[in-house]
Order: sequence, then C-alpha cells, then structure tokens
Amino acid sequence: MSGYMAGVLAILGINVIFAYGIYLTAAAGQLNLGGAGFQAIGAYAAAILSVELGFGIVSTIVLATLAGALIGFLIAFPILRTRGVYMVLATFAFAEVVVGIILNSDTLGGAMGMIMFDYIETPAVLWTAAGVVAFVFYLMSTPIGLAMRAVHDDEPVADLMGVNNRAIQVAAFASGGALAGLSGALYAFYFGFVEVQYFNAFLSIFVLLYVLIGGTQTAWGPLIGAAFFTLIPEALRIGEDWRFLIFGVLIVLMMIVRPEGIVTRDAIDRIVARLMPGDRRA
Amino acid sequence: MPEPILRLEAVGKHFGGVVVLEDVSFDVRAGSRHALIGPNGAGKTTLFNVISGVFPPDEGRVLLDGLDLAGVPSRRRIGMGMARSFQNIRLMPHLSVVENVMLGQHARPGLLRKLKPVGLLPKSRERDEALEVLDRFGLDAYRGQVVANLPYGIRKKIEVVRALMAEPRLLLLDEPAAGLNSTETAALRDFLMEVSARGVTLLVVEHDMPFVNSLCEHVTVMNFGRRIYDGPAAGAREDEAVLDAYLGTHHKKGASDAA
Amino acid sequence: MLIVQQILNGIMLGGIYVGVAVAFTLTIGILNFLNFTIPVLFMLSGMIGWSLSFYGLPFGLSEPLGWLPSLGIGIICAILASLVVERFTYRYFKAKHGDATEHAIPLVSSLGFLLIFEYMVLIAHGSDPRGFHTPFGDLDLRFAGLVISIPQILSLVVSLAIVAGLSMLLRRTQLGRALRATAENPDAAVLMGIEVNRIVPVVFVLTGLLCGLAGALFAVNYGEVSPYMGDQVGTKAIAGMVIGGLGSVWGAIAGGLIVGLTETLSIHFFGATSAQITVWGLLLVLLLFRPKGLFGHNAIGKGKF
Ligand SMILES: Nc1ncnc2c1ncn2[C@@H]1O[C@H](COP(=O)(O)OP(=O)(O)OP(=O)(O)O)[C@@H](O)[C@H]1O
Ligand SMILES: [Mg+2]
Repeated sequence: MSGYMAGVLAILGINVIFAYGIYLTAAAGQLNLGGAGFQAIGAYAAAILSVELGFGIVSTIVLATLAGALIGFLIAFPILRTRGVYMVLATFAFAEVVVGIILNSDTLGGAMGMIMFDYIETPAVLWTAAGVVAFVFYLMSTPIGLAMRAVHDDEPVADLMGVNNRAIQVAAFASGGALAGLSGALYAFYFGFVEVQYFNAFLSIFVLLYVLIGGTQTAWGPLIGAAFFTLIPEALRIGEDWRFLIFGVLIVLMMIVRPEGIVTRDAIDRIVARLMPGDRRA
Repeated sequence: MPEPILRLEAVGKHFGGVVVLEDVSFDVRAGSRHALIGPNGAGKTTLFNVISGVFPPDEGRVLLDGLDLAGVPSRRRIGMGMARSFQNIRLMPHLSVVENVMLGQHARPGLLRKLKPVGLLPKSRERDEALEVLDRFGLDAYRGQVVANLPYGIRKKIEVVRALMAEPRLLLLDEPAAGLNSTETAALRDFLMEVSARGVTLLVVEHDMPFVNSLCEHVTVMNFGRRIYDGPAAGAREDEAVLDAYLGTHHKKGASDAA
Repeated sequence: MLIVQQILNGIMLGGIYVGVAVAFTLTIGILNFLNFTIPVLFMLSGMIGWSLSFYGLPFGLSEPLGWLPSLGIGIICAILASLVVERFTYRYFKAKHGDATEHAIPLVSSLGFLLIFEYMVLIAHGSDPRGFHTPFGDLDLRFAGLVISIPQILSLVVSLAIVAGLSMLLRRTQLGRALRATAENPDAAVLMGIEVNRIVPVVFVLTGLLCGLAGALFAVNYGEVSPYMGDQVGTKAIAGMVIGGLGSVWGAIAGGLIVGLTETLSIHFFGATSAQITVWGLLLVLLLFRPKGLFGHNAIGKGKF
C-alpha cells in the first residue's frame, strides 16, 4: 500500500466513523448540523488526555469517545426542546460555541492548535471504522434500531407503540456524539496535531451531506456517502477549488436523480432479491 | 357481573372554547365486543385519544381494570394491555410491512429482547410471530414491501395486525372497515370474532352499521360530544334519541306528524 | 463615548445582517425552505460589484461613478442567481414531489449551489480579500467625539429604507398581504385564492434583492470584499433570524441588530475572537427559554425534516 493510498484510506475511515455519528441522530429523525463541534471535542479531548495528562493511546481514544458521548447526552436536553429548523440551527450554534471556546482558550492552544506525541497508522483507523460499521449495522437491526426509525417517521404513534421517544432521541445524540468524538480522536492521533480552523461550519455541512447524499433509510447510506465524498475528489486529480465546484454540481444533480440518497430501501430490496431469490427474510 | 375492563367517568374535553366531549360515561365489559358509534364529529376519535393518552381529559376519569389512568404516560398504556388503530392510517411510511408489524411488539417486557439483532437473523421468534399473523390476514405477499406504496385497504389491515402484535386485552379500533370492500369487511369481521374468542375485548368505532350489528353485542352512541345511548345493539335501533341523531329533525317532524 | 461609538458600529453591522436575515426569514416563513444560497448571493453582489469597478465597465460608464453602476449590476446578478436557484431547487422539487420541503431535499440542493457559486468566484478571483474603493472612502463626519463615515450613514439610510419599504410592501400592497397570508398559513392562503405558485418567484427575487443590497452595503461600508464574505455574514444573519423567530420580518430586523450589537460589544470587551461564543451562546440560551425565538410564529420552522 503506497503512502498516498494509506492516507486516503485513513481519511476515509475517519470520515466513515464521523458520518455514522451524524447518521445515528438522523436515523432517529434529527438533523445534526453541529458535527464539527462533536468531532472537535473528541480531537481536543484526545490532545489533552494524551499530551497533557499522559494517557496511553487506547485509553485516550476510549475516554475521548466517552467525552463525545457525555457532551452529546448533556446537549441533547436543551436541543430537543426545539424542533425542525430551530433544532438544526441549535446544533449549528452548539458547534460554533465549541469552536469559539477552543479558539479563546490558552490551554487548548487557541488558534495555534496542539501537537500530539503519539501516532496511529492507517490499519488501526480502518479496523476501528470496520468495528463502527458492524456496530451500527447491528444496532439498526435490533428492536431499538426499529424504534429509532419509528421515531423518525412518526413520533406520536411511536409513543403509543410504547417507544420512549425522548430516551431514543437522547441516546441517539449521545451515541452520535460518541462516534463523532471517536473520529476526532483518531484524527488527532493520525495527523499528529489538532487545529481549530479545521472544525469549521463547512465540515459540519459536509458530514451531514455524506449522510443525506448516502441516504438515511438504511445503515449503508453513510458508508457509501462518505466513500463517495472522500474518494471522488481523490479520483478527480484537479485543483482543490475545482473539486468543490464539481462537488456542488454533483450534489445538485444527485438531489434531482436520487433525492432520497444513493442507497434506498427499495434498492437494497432489489439487490437482495436478485442475489438470494428464495430468501424468507423480508 | 365482571369488573369492566374500561370505565369512563364523566369524561369532558374541550379545544379552546369548543366542547368536544361532555360528561361521557360508560363501561366496557371485559371480553365484550363493544361498538362506539355516532355521526361525524361526534367526538369518537377524540374519546379514543383521551383513552389512549394522546391528551388528558379536561374532566372525569378513565379507568383501566379499575386503575385510574390519570398521569399514566401514553407510551405505558400499550404495555398495560391496551392497543389501538387510527382512523387515518398512521403506519411508518419508511418501514416495511413486517417491520411495522414488529413495532407492535415493542411494548413487550424484556430489555435483552430489545438488543437482539432481529433484522440480521435469518429466523427469530419475533419475525415468525409477525409473519404468522400477516399470513392469517392474507398479507404475506406484502411483507417485505415499504408501506408507503401499498393500497389503502391493505394498510388498514396492517394497522389492525400491528395493534394485535402488542397482545392487548383491550383493542381500540377506529373505523377499521372504512375503505374495505364487502368481502374484505366480512373477512375482517370473522377475524375480529376470532380475536374476541381468544378473550380480547373490542371497542370499535365504525360507521358501517351492518358490520357493527354483526360484530358487536353492545353499543354506545354519541352525538355532539355526549353519550346519548348505551345498551344492547338491538335497543339502539329503536331508541328515539339515536334515531333523532342519525335522521335529524326530519325524523322528529315525521314522528310528530304521525302522532 | 467609546461605548456609544461601539453601539453605533454595532447598529451599522447589524443593518447588514438585517437584510440577509430578512431574506432568510422570508424563505423559511413562506416556503419552509432553509435557503443556504443566501450567503453566496450576498457575496456575489459584492464580488461582482468589485470586479466590474476594478476591471472597468463598458460604454465608458466607469468614470466617475464606476462603483455605483457596478454595485447595481452586482445586485441584479444576485437576483438572477436567486432565480436560478429557485428554478432548480424549490420549483423543481415542488413539481416533482408535491411537497418541496420533504426530506430536506431543497436544503441539500441549496448547499450544492452554495459550493457552486462560492468556488466559481474562488476560481475566478482567488481567495484574497480585495479593496473596494468609493470616492468618499475617507470622509468622516465627526461630532461630539464620535466618528461616522459617509458610507456608514449611507448604509444606515439604505437599511432604514429597506425596512420601511419592506414593511410598506407587506402591509399596504396586495402582494404583501398575499406574502404574509402564505407565510402564516399556506393551506389557508390557497383557499383564499392566493396563487402560491406565483408568490414563489417573488420570494426569490426579494431574496436576491435583499442579499444583493446587503452585499453592496458591506462593500461600501467596509471597503473590502472577498469570496468568503458571505460565510460569516450569512451564518450571523441566520443567528439573527433564529433569535428573532423564524418567519417574522420584525423578528429578523430585531435579531439582526441584536447580533450586530452583541458582536461589536463582545469584540470590544472580550477580544476579537469572542463574538463566536457570545452570539451563538446567546442563541442557544435564548432557544432554551423560548424555543421559537423572540417573535416566532408557533407553527413555522417546526415541521419535520
Ligand atoms: N385537536 C383539535 N382541535 C380542535 N378541535 C378538534 C380537535 N380534534 C377534534 N376536534 C373537533 O372535535 C370534534 C370531534 O372530532 P372527532 O374527530 O372526535 O369526531 P369523530 O366522532 O371521530 O368523527 P368522524 O366520524 O368524522 O371520525 C370535531 O368537531 C372536530 O373538529
Ligand atoms: Mg373519528
């Protein structure tokens, strides 16, 4: 594996984990436009734990993930008081505040960022990503995953079916925060530094696009969406600005051709039907 | 006489200044097949919403097995043995038929059960149960399809199946026969008879009077938010107030003319 | 006196946010559409205005008033760009899916247009900020220790004119009544015989006009434009709109001013990078107590995404 390929795959792995963090809330019906804030929390938690407090790599990553979960859990309560566009923008505001706090904090390096001492390599990132993919597929196949999708479709009826909407939504935010935090910690260890400018509004927008373009109906969506967004720019070996321009065009076209995302339930059903004609699973 | 499974005591509900329910009291006997009828806008659906806890009553009490439901959150009521269907179908549009039906199992106890990867297992008790009931309704062919694309009559039946998956003792059905053709209606009646024979109490809102008459032995009639009749189905057909509500002032005039 | 000066500056900045915030709130209120192209419409007007006055206008229009027609053309371009967005986001999805707001489709599509416009300008002009020169660049009015530049007065006058014009439009004209009726209750508006489909392009023209004017004011006021100028102003305007309450024009005006004041005062007291915390923190805290903003309509913006 060339160094270049290794780099692309590591970014892909980080983006996939990040995208699943946003997917978990989206699957339960909430758009999280504050992804950058959650990822920044994981990255900076990793920097402090590892550089300042001398934790080992594994325990740092675990704790940074828990930090993301804790913040996701806590922020869920005020954010879930709002609805619709208000909620989308509340998550956006949350990310802006997180980044603002980091920018103004001397212990966190302010605009200078922080340098990491320890590193991880591409395989570690990819194995973690594989674990996350497996976890989300498992979760979405359980009755809890079913309840999340029910909350997405119709909250009042889910409630009458015995689903605790509030608990599901809070759990979605907490677990989404955990995955975004995990992706941030991996980012810090892989690139060896964290700088706050990276965690800007465009990052939040992009990761939400991974999920929405990939499709929220099945757990395949974020995987395909993140791969699409990470690999296409690499395939198009042109200037950075042109890449984003082409991205914009692709997004507009994609919404026209496949408004529900690249991967939809119907598409999966058709593929399954073709591969396993006699399958009793529905 | 056995204790009523559901008791309504002077239930009242208003939206702003509009009184939608006023002093509604009646009992639903355990094991009975009970119809709730009345003209459009009488408040039947609103009463269902009060019973299932979508919103609390402004006055009066709702008792399930003698237990006052005030303060019991709506999501707990299905676990207490009460499931319902909706007048304008409320299935989850992005879930498949089996998934919708399996959602009905959500209120069953057991945390571990909720962690079982049912969607990945080729075979599970949960799925088998759902498929079995779908089969009995003749819905097996649709099981994998996403609900949003199915015809109305099919979705109507799936709602009943979903409610049944909760294994309720009291089943509240809001116009289950609406939109079904006569064969489908007859099949639904037979099926509900079977359900009833297994000990499930039925409280059914329905406009289709032949269906009501052939299914239910007890009828409560509402008009303008008030209970105007409560008694055996046969009696409703002779009751002055009921005839009046359904046939309006015309009937009253006719009646006095004849006198 | 210093604090009075800061408050003045805050109102000037807020005046720019107001135009953009009103554009946001109109599209949300009337179309239930969070239009993310609004920041680039703002930027397009400023950048096109700059590039025309920098490279010169045809027909000898450049001297001596080159900056004014240039900005005028910039504003017209913003309106045209807004109509392009209307054609391919809102109108297209409405025709295809009936409910155009389903699944956040137009929102995602507008994010696509955000990238397209922003990176087109970046490719054309690079990312460096450019100076925008007006004849009265360094003419200041001084009284009682306060410094107010001519462009600031100009922009204040224009901002007030926008607000007055808009409230006239909404109150007095047939079109305004149709707009307000649609914003408050689209279904009822249809029943009242208002042709909602005819309203839609009007909303987008207004959006382009408001953003274009705000972009032009920004260029004149701060003497500088850049391809990124819409990002900061656009997000701050969103904050203003949310604080004021979605769908409320007066809310957007109040919210825009509140954000402008918060930002300048926060920079004055706590340093250059503090505004991000205070503005967005204020929004979060406000939503905690008033989940529909200061003057928000109950039903607007709360629908499912
Ligand atoms: N949320 C609400 N707010 C205001 N009024 C309501 C509300 N829900 C119901 N109503 C009114 O209450 C009255 C009773 O409605 P309800 O739906 O309970 O009637 P129904 O007996 O189920 O009628 P139908 O046979 O047509 O289903 C109607 O006049 C209706 O307009
Ligand atoms: Mg009804």
